[in-house]
Amino acid sequence: MKFFILLFIFTISLFASEQSAEKRVYASILKALFPEKTIVKVWSDKSEKGALFSKLDGVRVVAQKKDADILMIFGPEDIENCDKMIFANGYLVFRRSKGKAIGGFYWQKGRANLTFIKKNLEKEGIRLPKSLEKYVEDVE
Amino acid sequence: MKQLNIIYSFFVVLLLFVLVYLYVRLGDFELQAKKNIESVIIKNTSYFIENVEKNIKQHVKSNLYKSLKSNPQLRKELETNMGMLITPSFKYIYVLYRDSAGKYRYLLDGSKEEKGLFDMKFDIDTQAWDSVYLSKEKKIVTQDDVSSIWITTLYPIVYDGEVQGVIALDFSTSLFQYISKVLSPLKDIFLYVFVATFSLLVVILYQMFLQLKTKRESITDPLTKAYNRVYLRDLVEKINLYNYDVAMLDLDHFKKVNDNFGHDMGDYVLVNFVKLLQKSIRSKDIIIRFGGEEFLLFLYKEKKKESQATEVMQRVLKTVSQYNFVYENSSLQITCSAGLVKEAFKYNSVQQVIKKADERLYSAKSRGRNRIVESDISACVDRLSLGAVKQALDEERLLCHFQPIFTLSTKKIAKYEALVRLRGEGEKLYYPNQFLDTIEGTNVYRDLTKNVLEIVFEKIAEHQIAMSMNLNLSDIIDNSIYEMLIKELEASKSLAQFLTIELLEYESLANDILLDRIVAIKSYGVKIALDDFGSGYSNFSIFENLPIDIIKIDGSLVKNIDNSKTSYIIVESIARLAKRLGLVVIAEFVHSKAVLDVLEELDVRCGQGFYLGKPDILMPTGQ
Repeated sequence: MKFFILLFIFTISLFASEQSAEKRVYASILKALFPEKTIVKVWSDKSEKGALFSKLDGVRVVAQKKDADILMIFGPEDIENCDKMIFANGYLVFRRSKGKAIGGFYWQKGRANLTFIKKNLEKEGIRLPKSLEKYVEDVE
Repeated sequence: MKQLNIIYSFFVVLLLFVLVYLYVRLGDFELQAKKNIESVIIKNTSYFIENVEKNIKQHVKSNLYKSLKSNPQLRKELETNMGMLITPSFKYIYVLYRDSAGKYRYLLDGSKEEKGLFDMKFDIDTQAWDSVYLSKEKKIVTQDDVSSIWITTLYPIVYDGEVQGVIALDFSTSLFQYISKVLSPLKDIFLYVFVATFSLLVVILYQMFLQLKTKRESITDPLTKAYNRVYLRDLVEKINLYNYDVAMLDLDHFKKVNDNFGHDMGDYVLVNFVKLLQKSIRSKDIIIRFGGEEFLLFLYKEKKKESQATEVMQRVLKTVSQYNFVYENSSLQITCSAGLVKEAFKYNSVQQVIKKADERLYSAKSRGRNRIVESDISACVDRLSLGAVKQALDEERLLCHFQPIFTLSTKKIAKYEALVRLRGEGEKLYYPNQFLDTIEGTNVYRDLTKNVLEIVFEKIAEHQIAMSMNLNLSDIIDNSIYEMLIKELEASKSLAQFLTIELLEYESLANDILLDRIVAIKSYGVKIALDDFGSGYSNFSIFENLPIDIIKIDGSLVKNIDNSKTSYIIVESIARLAKRLGLVVIAEFVHSKAVLDVLEELDVRCGQGFYLGKPDILMPTGQ
């Protein structure tokens, strides 16, 4: 019984620490991408992540893609004909959508990794703050 | 029960300490095991990494980045070799380089999962990696912030004194978790035993708390919060009378308070009276509510120091008399009286001390109240103090006078009654009314009784004649006197048949223990007489309850028998009653021939009085 309780606490604490790291990262990303907006409207293809975004200050989760300022993609979402700003979440999603996505956030070997794609940033006319410039990459 | 709980608690606490100690030691062991494993891992990883470096350097002789970039096949081959090291413990092995912007990028990745691509950026803890670049030395990094990774070993690949890449080997937490898992049941056992033991301790402590609470409630008077008689019962068994003087205290005219102001006011007075007592006495003194408005005070006395009991009691009386009791628009002042017994240790039991304090309290009441009485010495009677009686016994100044008791029909002496006297330091004689009250209930009284009994047996042995002596019925109930009596009877078995014990104060004391004891005394051949029968509250049921042999008609009835018709009728009735019950009758106070004649006419068997013979120190020889 105690094992399961400890396992549960361990999982929760891991999940909580990852979640809080993620929250910090997403808050920074959204603030950097939309510095002028007081409310950023976010659409996500993963409902449980929607809950995470809704907890961020100045973020509203929307149900329709067309209402969103940015689409947070976690799965195999069709983004070819989408005219909205896209952010990839997860390594495979990032690699698959690097032509359209403005950047990606994923966990690799237990470490959080963040990459902004230079040409897509330029296409959107976004200039990132200095603290995030080190994450900008020329991704082919 | 309380002691048992304390012992249980002690062992449980001891067990808790042992468990905590073992638990801590187990934690230390776990930490030490972790350190040892760490050092073993570091050794092993160093060995593996050195091999990886060798392998890379065998294939790439210089310019690592360019060589690998230009040769994907070589990358694949090297990554395959590196991948062979991957185990559940060695989770990731990869080589990064630092680009001109200071970012770290993949050169090789032998990992089976989450594989990085050549030249792909990898966000890692750059500070540790930079330090390897700078120092060109291997580095061990404990990964507290990286989930599922325990430690990372960083190993520089150096060409011509320049670091061109760093090999990283991530060690997973699985082994450490395995160790923790192995130790976990042991820790669990400790934890469960600890919890169980702790729970037991809590239960014992709670039980002790309840016991103390119940005990406290049972020994406390609910109204005044003073101790009650249950507490007194326990105190009697353990108190050392050398350490206490004892006072009995009573509120004067308290009944009038209840009658005139109501019981609520009465209760209020009692509660505040106890508060005043508590303020006036010292911390080591004890207050016990003895009865309605009667309180017992045990006043602490330090050994070899002057008793302060009188001062304390005076303070109590003054404080109470000056206090104004105000309750619901009514106010009153009240006084109290006290009987004080100092040198309580001279009494043979606490009960005797309390009895004496009570007597003195009533003496204080009868002398006008609001006062303390601490001695029995009467102004009109030349009494001996307890110490003086004891000294007289020690110096063998006790003696007996013997008054003859005649058989009236034959005019012969049937027996003698032994009457105790004490000789003063001169030749002055002291009579029982001058010292018996003072010593009653003390060890001195028992010693005096023993001495009288010895003298009586001595005289019986010397003259082979019957003797009687006086005892209170309460003496038979008193264990120490009764035991002494039996011991003396046992020692003088053959003479016991000549002894008559005349019982005084027998009005209300008949009970089973007494009956058993009198039967036991009679079994030696001793005769039992009721002294002063017909006076006081003489109860005829005594003949039902006690095996009486003789009744002695009280002198107050006999002395006027020749003039008083009433006395005549009473004595006649008693004589007839005794005859029908088969008892011997002795008439006291035969002070004249006229009285003697009437007694003979009434067929009274025996007589005693100054007309027949006065008490004397010498045994009369004539009959």
